[in-house]
Amino acid sequence: MTPTPTLKRDLLPGTLDMLILKTLAAQSMHGYGIAQHIQRLSREVLVVEEGSLYPALQRMRQKGWIKAGWRQTPNNQRARYYTITAAGRRQLGAQETGFAERMAAINRVMGIA
Amino acid sequence: MREWLARLRDWLRRDALDRDLKEELRFHRERLERDARDAGVGPEEAPYAARRRLGNETRVREEARERWSIPWLDHFQQDVRYALRGLRRSPGFTITVILALGLGIGANAAMFGVIDRLMFRPFPCLRDASQVHRVYLQSTNRGQVETRGGMEYTRYLDLRRWTTTFSQYAGYSLGVTVVGTGDASRERRIARVSAEFFDFFDARPVRGRFFVASEDTTPVGAPVAVLGHAFWMAEFGGRDVLGETIQIGNIPATIIGVAPRGFVGVSESEAPAAYIPITTYAGNANFQRDPTNYYTRYNWGWMNVMARRRPGVSVEQASRDLSEAHRRSWIAELAFDTDGTPADVAQPRAIAGPLKSAAGPTAGLESKTLLWVTGVAVIVLLIACANVANLMLARVLRRRREIAVRLALGVSRGRLMAQALTESLLLATLGCVAGVAIAQWGGAALRRLFVRDSSSLDVLTDWRTLGVAAAAALAAAVLTGLGPALLGTRAGLAESLKSGAREGTHQRSRTRAALLVLQGALSVILLVGAGLFVRSLGHVRDMRLGFDVEPVLIVSRSLRGMRLDDSAQVMLGRRLLETGRGIPGVEHATWVSSVPFWSTSGTDFFVAGIDSVRRLGRFTYQTATPGYFAAMGTRILRGRAFTAEDGANAQDRANVPKVVVVSEAMARVLWPGQEALGQCVRIGRDTMPCTTVIGIAEDAVQSSLLDDDTRFRFYLPLDQYYPENGHTLLLRMRTDPVHDVERVRRELQAVMPGQSYVSVRPLRELIADQRRSWKVGATMFVAFGLLALVVAGVGLYGVIAYNVTQRMHELGVRVALGARTGDIVRLVVGQGVRVALVGVVIGTALALWASRWIQPLLFQQSAKDPLIYSLVGAVLLVVALAASASPAFRATKVDPNAALRAE
Repeated sequence: MTPTPTLKRDLLPGTLDMLILKTLAAQSMHGYGIAQHIQRLSREVLVVEEGSLYPALQRMRQKGWIKAGWRQTPNNQRARYYTITAAGRRQLGAQETGFAERMAAINRVMGIA
Repeated sequence: MREWLARLRDWLRRDALDRDLKEELRFHRERLERDARDAGVGPEEAPYAARRRLGNETRVREEARERWSIPWLDHFQQDVRYALRGLRRSPGFTITVILALGLGIGANAAMFGVIDRLMFRPFPCLRDASQVHRVYLQSTNRGQVETRGGMEYTRYLDLRRWTTTFSQYAGYSLGVTVVGTGDASRERRIARVSAEFFDFFDARPVRGRFFVASEDTTPVGAPVAVLGHAFWMAEFGGRDVLGETIQIGNIPATIIGVAPRGFVGVSESEAPAAYIPITTYAGNANFQRDPTNYYTRYNWGWMNVMARRRPGVSVEQASRDLSEAHRRSWIAELAFDTDGTPADVAQPRAIAGPLKSAAGPTAGLESKTLLWVTGVAVIVLLIACANVANLMLARVLRRRREIAVRLALGVSRGRLMAQALTESLLLATLGCVAGVAIAQWGGAALRRLFVRDSSSLDVLTDWRTLGVAAAAALAAAVLTGLGPALLGTRAGLAESLKSGAREGTHQRSRTRAALLVLQGALSVILLVGAGLFVRSLGHVRDMRLGFDVEPVLIVSRSLRGMRLDDSAQVMLGRRLLETGRGIPGVEHATWVSSVPFWSTSGTDFFVAGIDSVRRLGRFTYQTATPGYFAAMGTRILRGRAFTAEDGANAQDRANVPKVVVVSEAMARVLWPGQEALGQCVRIGRDTMPCTTVIGIAEDAVQSSLLDDDTRFRFYLPLDQYYPENGHTLLLRMRTDPVHDVERVRRELQAVMPGQSYVSVRPLRELIADQRRSWKVGATMFVAFGLLALVVAGVGLYGVIAYNVTQRMHELGVRVALGARTGDIVRLVVGQGVRVALVGVVIGTALALWASRWIQPLLFQQSAKDPLIYSLVGAVLLVVALAASASPAFRATKVDPNAALRAE
């Protein structure tokens, strides 16, 4: 198995929150779905380690950015779905702006831009 | 903040969250397994692949769980459970502690409720209460600084004009006036206020409007009234009354509004029935010869002034500003009164003081006594705490081995301390609940004692009082818990583990003895206070006032704007007097011009050989009809009282010889060493014909129990002087006067013409107000003192009994070595008595030290009365003896064989 880069080490702090919020902004999802979604969209570059995912979800729920509730999956299984709140959308906006600025700054330093 | 609330909510449902997470992770794993199978991993391998992807599930759970655990809260919960178990196991201890703390906390909550209402709590709806002041004026008279809250309307206008540090001013005056007409008329509290008065408050009328500046103008304001909410509900059932007319005194006022519920203005007792413009009242006060006098002259000081300090102005600056204005006003007044004291001598000043008079510079003895009683409540709590600390200490000592074992097993001292403090916090909380219940129940008794106010002393709905109860509980928890907790956990580990029950107890019983001494000393202070106040009250009650209080009813008549000429007034007076005499139960009846504790009159008079009688002191007179001395029970010591022959029944009124009865003190000061009977007094001017002294009456109190320079008093027959001047009828009852008030009122009211009105009240009520401060002091000190004594006695008993149990072995050895019963009893009782003696000595010293501050509150009673101190000492020793008796008896039953065998 090839070693996959993990988020905890390789991403800037707070990025995981942003990715989760961005995912949930599109639609409500359960933990597994969130992990899969990020992995798929990043073309398997970003693998969300479940050990980070669930504590992060709890933290964000306590901050009031997301809500959790049990629902049926399309396959009729019971799963805990997470939904973004209005506060979560505001947070996502702020994080996206901050992230874009930081990316631009990094790119300038790296001479990419 | 929000996040913490969420954490707290999660903590409360943490078990459910745990379950949710577990199920969530199971779902995740199942999906991963399916993914693995879909990717071609065999069914046996799939779970392992999934588990690898998921990582360490336990760690995930732990990490997530940290998000909803709050460790100190978990610990606290454990400690509470542990403490509850411990308390349930020793119900005797628990109940004693809760009761002791409950009494202490309850006493404080109840007392705080009273003084808070009297002194500190801002009036309802008052905006920025800390900026609002009442204006007090000061001046120096014969070297004495006099402070007064009342002033003239003219002075109020002066202060407004000549100060700059205030943004708002209002004048107000509260009085009782007859409201309504005919049989429905009743005396009500009426507030006469400036139109600006309402701007001080955040209050909107529930109906109509408040009056405005154009309705509050000199010389006479508009006849309008705003009703108080409670009065509106009670009298009008809350119906629409705007535009109706209500008769307030002699003013037929149109109702223009109703104040909101709970609005009392600045009334310190019950809420006013109605508010009328202050100039409407003053302009209609028909006893003034010139209706413009009240705002141009300085001869009617009847109102109070409140003012709001401008932002950024200090109280000192405001007072300086007011003082300067008062000085200018004083000089302005001298233009009318050439005899007045010059400003440089009188040194007029002013104070921006508290709005509540009980907290202000003119507060009476009662406020001071109440503050002392509040201090006493704090002492009661301290005694209770000392007692509880003692009980806790005993508990810690019993559990020493348990504690040592837990320390040895690695429990941190911090955790043990937290546990001990949790226990005392729990006890204090339960004590607080008991205290609030006691305060609520005791509130009824307190209400009867102090607060004339109809607003209830409901503790349960009063956040300020509940806050104080909680603070007292917290303080009690720390006071009672910290010591034993420290002592308990400090115990040497190895020593406690290996030693038996006996070693190491001596030093701790010293701590306990010190706590007992403290309780004893504090009890002595309270009991001495109780003794002093009880004796004061006794002196007040025993003091011969110079008249009888109990059987007398006071009847005032109010003509309410009816204009009767002098002869009609005299006729009405006669008719009322005859009617009064005819009422069953009335023994004597008399018309008077002044009533003790209510009003006095003075006039110039001249006596041959004395340059100025004024310089000898203040002389007051009473004019009365012949029945006066019989009705009041004032004894004639020599000579005679005046009779009908001196007045109305005389054949030739103009030529009746003028007569006067003087008080004994007056006779002594005017004619020292001479016979006063037959002397000549010229009343009014020195050219008047002689008024002959025909009798000497006993001295009588007039305006205050404390003020004894007003005993110079003379009595003139009403008919010889101002026959129309009798405003008040005194009735001496054979029956219970309080019971007969309404019956007498109805009979007399029937005689009154038109809208005129009589009101009847017992003289007793006026005296009760005068005696109140000593009654309050005596009642509260006695109640708290006895409470303290019981608590201290129980505490002493507990400690001695405990010590006897601890010393059983030693006592057994003593008996075996030949100690007799008497020796054993002396040993045990001696211990209790020693503690009590030390307590008495310390308490006596403290009480003597405090005596100079309590002295002014007493009545004809030295604060260092040796009789009271020795009595209190004796009581404490008796209690100590009683408390040690039963343990001593148990000690004599010790079996020496058992003691020796156990060795």
